[in-house]
Amino acid sequence: MRALTAKLKTAGWRQEYVLVMLLVVLIGVAGALDPTFVTARAQLKLSENIWGLAILALPMTMIIITAGIDLSVGSTVALATVTFGLSWHQGVPVWGAALLALGVATAAGALNGFLVSKVKVHPLIVTLATLAAFRGIAEGASKGKPVTPLPDAFTQFGDTFAGIPVAAWVFAVLAIVCALFLGRTPNGRFVYAIGHNERGARFSGIAVDRILFLLYSLSGLLAGVVALLYAARRNTASPEAGMGNELDVITAVVIGGTSIYGGRGNIVGTCLGILLIHETREFVRWYWSSDELNLIVVGSLLVASVLAHRLLRFGKK
Amino acid sequence: MSTLSTVDSPPAGRLRRFADGLLVLARSREYGLLLLIALTVVTVSIKSPDFLDLGNLRDILEQAAPVVVIACGVMLVVLTGEIDISVGSLMGLLAALLALLASADRCAWHPAVAILFVLLAGAAVGACTGLMVTIGRVPSIIVTLGMLTALRGVTILTMGGENIKNFPAMVRFLGTGEVLGLPVDIGVAAAVVILTGFILVLTPLGRRIFALGSNPHASELIGLSERTIKLFVFAYTGFLTGVATLLAVGKLGNVAPSMGKGRELLVVTCVVVGGVSISGGRGKLRGVVLAVLLMVMMRTVLTFMEMGPEATKWERAIQGAFILLAVVVDHLASRHHGSGR
Amino acid sequence: MKKWIAAMLAVAACVGCRREEIETTGPEAKAGEKITVCLLPKLKGIPYFTSCYAGAKEAADELGDIELIYDGPTEGSAEAQAAMIEKWTLQGVDVIAVSPNAPDVIAKSMQEALKAGINVITWDADSTVGSREFFVNQATAQAIGVGLVDAMVNDLGGAEKAQGDVAIISANTTAANQNAWIEHMTARLKEHPNLNLVTIKYPGEDQNNAFQDAQDLMKAYPNLKGIWGITSIAFPGAAEAVKQADKAGQVLVVGLATPNDMKLYVKAGVVPSVVLWNTQDLGYLTVHTARALAKGTLKSGATEIEAGRLGKKVIAGDNVLLGDIMVFKKENIDQFDF
Repeated sequence: MRALTAKLKTAGWRQEYVLVMLLVVLIGVAGALDPTFVTARAQLKLSENIWGLAILALPMTMIIITAGIDLSVGSTVALATVTFGLSWHQGVPVWGAALLALGVATAAGALNGFLVSKVKVHPLIVTLATLAAFRGIAEGASKGKPVTPLPDAFTQFGDTFAGIPVAAWVFAVLAIVCALFLGRTPNGRFVYAIGHNERGARFSGIAVDRILFLLYSLSGLLAGVVALLYAARRNTASPEAGMGNELDVITAVVIGGTSIYGGRGNIVGTCLGILLIHETREFVRWYWSSDELNLIVVGSLLVASVLAHRLLRFGKK
Repeated sequence: MSTLSTVDSPPAGRLRRFADGLLVLARSREYGLLLLIALTVVTVSIKSPDFLDLGNLRDILEQAAPVVVIACGVMLVVLTGEIDISVGSLMGLLAALLALLASADRCAWHPAVAILFVLLAGAAVGACTGLMVTIGRVPSIIVTLGMLTALRGVTILTMGGENIKNFPAMVRFLGTGEVLGLPVDIGVAAAVVILTGFILVLTPLGRRIFALGSNPHASELIGLSERTIKLFVFAYTGFLTGVATLLAVGKLGNVAPSMGKGRELLVVTCVVVGGVSISGGRGKLRGVVLAVLLMVMMRTVLTFMEMGPEATKWERAIQGAFILLAVVVDHLASRHHGSGR
Repeated sequence: MKKWIAAMLAVAACVGCRREEIETTGPEAKAGEKITVCLLPKLKGIPYFTSCYAGAKEAADELGDIELIYDGPTEGSAEAQAAMIEKWTLQGVDVIAVSPNAPDVIAKSMQEALKAGINVITWDADSTVGSREFFVNQATAQAIGVGLVDAMVNDLGGAEKAQGDVAIISANTTAANQNAWIEHMTARLKEHPNLNLVTIKYPGEDQNNAFQDAQDLMKAYPNLKGIWGITSIAFPGAAEAVKQADKAGQVLVVGLATPNDMKLYVKAGVVPSVVLWNTQDLGYLTVHTARALAKGTLKSGATEIEAGRLGKKVIAGDNVLLGDIMVFKKENIDQFDF
């Protein structure tokens, strides 16, 4: 057991070292090419683009550790956004609308969780279907139109608190909670167990169904939180919210060292993965002003990082 | 499946066995799809009898042609336990390549050469994916996710922000031509389906594809070359994406940088709804073909349902709910059939 | 555990240690240096905006002291536009010229740019009040919607003779411009009770879908007289479907596109009218306006602006007017090459 843990540790650490090294190199090169990019002011402002994805990556990490996946997070964000916008527009007080949005988002996640844990449909298939269904409902209900502008009492949460964006504070708290859950609680360890061997975990008496159900519901809930943060920041509740987020989040989680086969990964790795994608994307955007180039770079980065990880482990599976 | 009773007198026993057999068939997955298709057709025909027009059915088949071609490839990939979500972006890239080579406004190569080039390029990209999955040991979902993004970027970059038209007659023929009354695109799609079915059922390769998906480790023990087979299925998918691109571009005569966007979602949905197990090793080609017909038909059905200008905003939700329903029903049916998880 | 904490701190230190304030260029560009003009379209990679860029480049080359940056979201996302505006604000460019996808989403970013001393103008589509200094206006959403309907009615024989079913093919349900045009189109159609708008289809950005939709519309609605294809994907897709169904002249296809994109269909009689304006002139005028603003020669309250080969252009309020909407038909489409 100790040997296994030791092996796992070295496997995990290497990826994080690689990421940190890449980050240092990237920042160094970026700073040399244009010092303005690495100023605290610039970085803080640019970071506003990433907190939403970072929050979504937290439950995604845990889900992928169980060898599952959630492709519907982007669409759940849209569903929550539209719920919020429409209900407020119909006269519900803004905080009631926000609660309603969170409720709908959690219910959406719970639907995924139910289909995965109780009906036992493969998560890829379930969330592929709900990706289409949720987005479609968001578009239909909103008639394709965004609700804007939103009340100031609400949008002030899109600003900063003590100089740091509100979304960053939310992320920090959630990240610490998730990291502690995964690393220090029995249920957290069960998450890894499910990923390693679901059947074995069941036979060991672990409440697999309940844990999976809760994880997917959590993914839904946090998608709702992100939806509100987006709406507050951009002063609009649009059915286009969250478009493409799921791919970005999965990319970040995988770059961070979480194995798509399950059983391995952690929050720290995910944070580094997010940071790397963010800095790469912003740097390419900053220096080359070419959106299509960004697509190429991020896509290649994903493949390259996993390839590098594999090479570093010299063929160990 | 109920047990056969030997207590009953012979004629009643035979009758019961026949009824049991019928029930089993009725519960089989493909018949479920057939039922869904039939139900949909009946519903829309009540509203708009024009739907049953022969020309309409032919148009649906033509629209389904490029989709079914790619689905054949992706089905093989999923059977081996992998996945390929880059087909839409590859289609875009190959379309851009075809446009740049064959269009009279650009390089204006001889159409046969351009077509060959596109097919080879498709196979080559597919092979690259295959190499990264087999030798690089990168999970296929990661490779193809990266490709999905990167290839789209390359496509937009190379097309320079313009739509390209003016394709030679040979290319247009692939999408719009007819041979002895049969539309070429339907003919090509049928040929691909037959070829794929042949590979799956009648060749050792086909058996190995199934074996790989069912139990990759055991297959290795037996000595099957996992790498070669997976390389083949990815290259095959790339090649088929090229074929589908030819059909689609031939039909439209116009290539925009957004070509193929979202196709991967459609194809994977069809493969899954068609009864192919996502963990590999199980699935029937006829299920996939029926699923493609169903999903492509949905678009036309929704138009024929004659919903007013306001209701069409819900179309995506209807399609999404439909997919969800199909997926759950299919899953329950497969479990009932005794082949559950 | 300790090692990676140390590494993270190292990264943070590299970032935090450079506390220099970035200098932003004010309304008067530094003498002798190039004026950076950032041209931000709604969607990068479609012929409409590519031709605007061509005109902008022409102006930049002519004027000689412009550094033209052209970038926009490949997905047409308003969020991406906001991020680009914020980046340019941090980089301290001189002028940002944006064609907004969703005015409310980027309003805050635009205001912050103004506060940082950057000149902000809009072109092609306007943004919210107070977020920009001038708007290079070639057509309002209303003018476009009305123009599309009028062109179709005209092609169907005029207000008295035009009757039958009509349909619109758009892109996504969330496409803001298309939705704005559709609103005005439906309003205008109320003046023609003999024309019945049967449906609006949303094929997304997939041209195959647009083709299929047009095909299906012709079959499902036998009394269909006209289809509007209001995106650069839907328009040729619908035209091709009508052509292949041999219904050229029976089902008219009208829409917005660059003349080059639709020349073949116009000549084949499938498309009687293409509604647009001179996109190259739009880009050209935008760069001239940007430069005048940066140099201080254009101030609020001005009534006209000198724009190179376009001559004097009228300014109404804070709108720099390009001119009227054009309708390209078989007779005149050959005169244009964009």
